[in-house]
Amino acid sequence: MEATAKVSKKIIQCSAVANGTAKAFKQGDPIAARPEWDKDRCIRCGICYVYCPHGAVERLDDGFFDVNQKRCSGCGICHRECWFGVISMVEEG
Amino acid sequence: MDKFSLYVPNFLPREEFFDPKHNQTCIGCGVSLAVRLVGKAAEGLLHKAVCERQSAAELFGVTSDAAFLKLKQGKQTTIICLDDEPENSLDSAVKKTLPGIAVAEGFQYVATACPSYPFDLFEKVQRALESQGNAYLHILCPCPSAWQYKTEDTVKVGFWAVESLAFPLYEVAAGFYNMTVKTLKPRPLSEYLSAQARFAKATEKQLAAAGKQVEKEYGKLLENIQSGIAYTYETTGAVY
Repeated sequence: MEATAKVSKKIIQCSAVANGTAKAFKQGDPIAARPEWDKDRCIRCGICYVYCPHGAVERLDDGFFDVNQKRCSGCGICHRECWFGVISMVEEG
Repeated sequence: MDKFSLYVPNFLPREEFFDPKHNQTCIGCGVSLAVRLVGKAAEGLLHKAVCERQSAAELFGVTSDAAFLKLKQGKQTTIICLDDEPENSLDSAVKKTLPGIAVAEGFQYVATACPSYPFDLFEKVQRALESQGNAYLHILCPCPSAWQYKTEDTVKVGFWAVESLAFPLYEVAAGFYNMTVKTLKPRPLSEYLSAQARFAKATEKQLAAAGKQVEKEYGKLLENIQSGIAYTYETTGAVY
């Protein structure tokens, strides 16, 4: 949260548009948690696929979904928006 | 598209046209989510798009810090405003002037959208690109680092913005207003504002004034809808 305080007013010369402005938010850092699917209960609706801001959720050949480790930033949107609570965020040791 | 309800996401194109890792967006970024969905709707056009974000840039004579995407198709241009409220004030959160000015400027298609309603946004982008004249889209993008809420709540905050009537979703095609997402039971505005830590210091007077402002804006919108002929959009046989 220190980072957010520093940038405060000019917050976000948004990094989606201007290069090199995301440093304050430490984007390169290892992320806290990654999503995991419980395949027994998943109905393959694909809501997680739609809401992922980084396009990290990928559709497998059998219709289930999995995460692309390189793209995922661990925001937890898929975990929150899943209708059936299939996705759990697993912390990395 | 929404009529397929549960399994709609399987109709979206699978190709990704926006690579956030390339530009390193924040965790849980709303702008990134919006641009990704716009890219799926516009397909190849996004590669040629011009994206600008300057401090105090001018559009229609209004200064704004928001980012603007311009999609060009021959003579027709579509301007997309990615609004994450960089002004950081209550007024900017409650009152949106740009769509109204765009209607007055004579744009053929004007609409407001939010990535929390992805299929609504998807269809609006397609209609904007299909329209004969210029088009303007105003997209509200929740931003966890500026608005100060948990990163996982990006979509939820977007829902609350629409449900509390602070940011109603409508479209204006050829001068006729049409509400695309109808909220039957509005959520109290305080719920939406208190979810964001940036308004933690706002006094009760300011909140009450904001509530009145929302009612006023929404009343104006309803008047506009009733005064015009009801407009229904017919798809041109596009299959997703």
